[in-house]
Amino acid sequence: MKRLWTTFRYTFQWFRGQIFGWGVGIGSLGLLIVAFYKVFGERQADFMKMIESYPPELLAFFGTDKQGVLSPEGYLGMYGFSFLPIIIGFFAVLAGGSLIAADEERGRLDLVIAHPVGRSSFFFGRTLAFIGGIMSILALGWLGFCVLLNGSSLDITWAEMALPFVSLLAQALIYGSLALMLSMFLPTRNFATVLSGLIMVVGYILSSMASLNPSLDKAARLFPYTYFQGSEAFTNFNLSWLFALIGASFIMFLLAWWRFVRRDIRLSGEGSFRWQLPLRFHSKSA
Amino acid sequence: MSSISQISNNPELAIEVQGLIKSYGKVQALRGINLEVEPGEIFGFLGPNGAGKTTTIRCLLDMIRPDAGAVHLFGINPQTNPVSVQAFTGYLPGEVQYYENMSAERQLRFYGDMRNGQVDWQYVHELAERLSLSMKQAIKNLSKGNKQKIGVIQALMHRPKLLLLDEPTSGLDPLMQQEVLSMLRESNAAGATIFFSSHIMSEVENLASKVAIIRTGEIVEVAETSILTGRTMRRLTVRFKRPVSSQSIENLPGVEVLDGSNDTCCTLQVTGDMERLVKALGDYPVLDLETYHPTLEETFLAFYK
Repeated sequence: MKRLWTTFRYTFQWFRGQIFGWGVGIGSLGLLIVAFYKVFGERQADFMKMIESYPPELLAFFGTDKQGVLSPEGYLGMYGFSFLPIIIGFFAVLAGGSLIAADEERGRLDLVIAHPVGRSSFFFGRTLAFIGGIMSILALGWLGFCVLLNGSSLDITWAEMALPFVSLLAQALIYGSLALMLSMFLPTRNFATVLSGLIMVVGYILSSMASLNPSLDKAARLFPYTYFQGSEAFTNFNLSWLFALIGASFIMFLLAWWRFVRRDIRLSGEGSFRWQLPLRFHSKSA
Repeated sequence: MSSISQISNNPELAIEVQGLIKSYGKVQALRGINLEVEPGEIFGFLGPNGAGKTTTIRCLLDMIRPDAGAVHLFGINPQTNPVSVQAFTGYLPGEVQYYENMSAERQLRFYGDMRNGQVDWQYVHELAERLSLSMKQAIKNLSKGNKQKIGVIQALMHRPKLLLLDEPTSGLDPLMQQEVLSMLRESNAAGATIFFSSHIMSEVENLASKVAIIRTGEIVEVAETSILTGRTMRRLTVRFKRPVSSQSIENLPGVEVLDGSNDTCCTLQVTGDMERLVKALGDYPVLDLETYHPTLEETFLAFYK
């Protein structure tokens, strides 16, 4: 347990800068969004004129429609929660893909793991620090959204405001665990990060467009973004979706651990396992 | 399918490697290596790049898993109990990399914490002083040699009973090389077993009591350093009282007449038994005979001819 704690402590310390940067960034965004709600209320007619000029596809990207934007939930959904999963998702993908593979590719893991830590303790120490980092960023973000809440006309409590952030946590965990798992199976962390990021962005586009084109709904359901609960969480928080996402993340963390404790530790610049396509190309000599 | 033995034949040995096989895809890096290192021994591991030295060392510490064969360090299998093995081992990789923004001291404290803080910090500062290493400077600002010094210190700082070192003096200037070698001798005198790979023959010759030579994943020779340098190949310079034809000497098996020889003086390189040559020289008017042992480097190169 002490070995796991040591790894956790150091990894969490290394996350401090990122926690501050991402957390304060999201928190500031929340602060502005809540502060501007008053202006939005006062000049609703002007805003509506602007929103009516938007094509429906653009509003779909913001997860709302012309009517929905009038409510406090719709306002928060449009200006805040529609793209927060992508913002926190980018952090999760970058941090998850680099959590172990970055040290491995830079040749540092070789010496670290030669110390009496144990691969499992090392893995779970780092994973817990990663989860702690995400929770800290979201906590700072949540605080930013809450600070001006009492003085605003948004009829939302601090506890209610936490619900979309719980859903954001599940989103971050699933993208982070996916990137971590892929970084353990694929030859490079860049490959793992790009693939995870692609899954995130494609899911966002499909889920947003599915509200306009129902034929996309089936495909969208395969992607985690569909199960994000932004402003919907205020009125109808779906616990099954939350637990399904957390459960899937847990399974991917376990798969990443399973692979990590079994495989060779690569040296910097060394690809100790190669991907080989089942197809063989034979060049014909002239 | 891997077949990995769990039982040590001799738990008294510091390192016991039996039939170690490791492949990277189609490349067979180790082809059934057998090694035995006695406790308290300084064991040199020689071989050219890509021969399998680093792969062997990394198998010893469970960084990589062999396809077949067995490894035991003081009777413990590192695959089943890596933490126990790593606790009594000090390791220095061939190319050591750090967290570049840390200072040397912070990096060493990190490694110390990874060992549950079981490090004598007075000893660490002593080692740093001997190696003239500035502990406060950020690692990114240090030269390759200074980075290597941090690696040496982290390997020694918990006074391990086994040291696994992959080219320990790489990147160090000759003065620091000598300092590191004397540190290793001191550790050995205090009871540590040392297993190290090196390209510097004089270093192996000076430090190691036993040497193994590895070529394309196979051990081609294991011997005490003194025996290895003293046998297998010798050089002789023979001076004759009058001009002679050295035809019958040249025809002897294992004898090669080297360039620069003439009919009154010839330099010979002899591989294997000397007896036939000495008998053949009895038929010649020998004025003077000078024999000398080759260096380990010459012996090493002889294995790769």
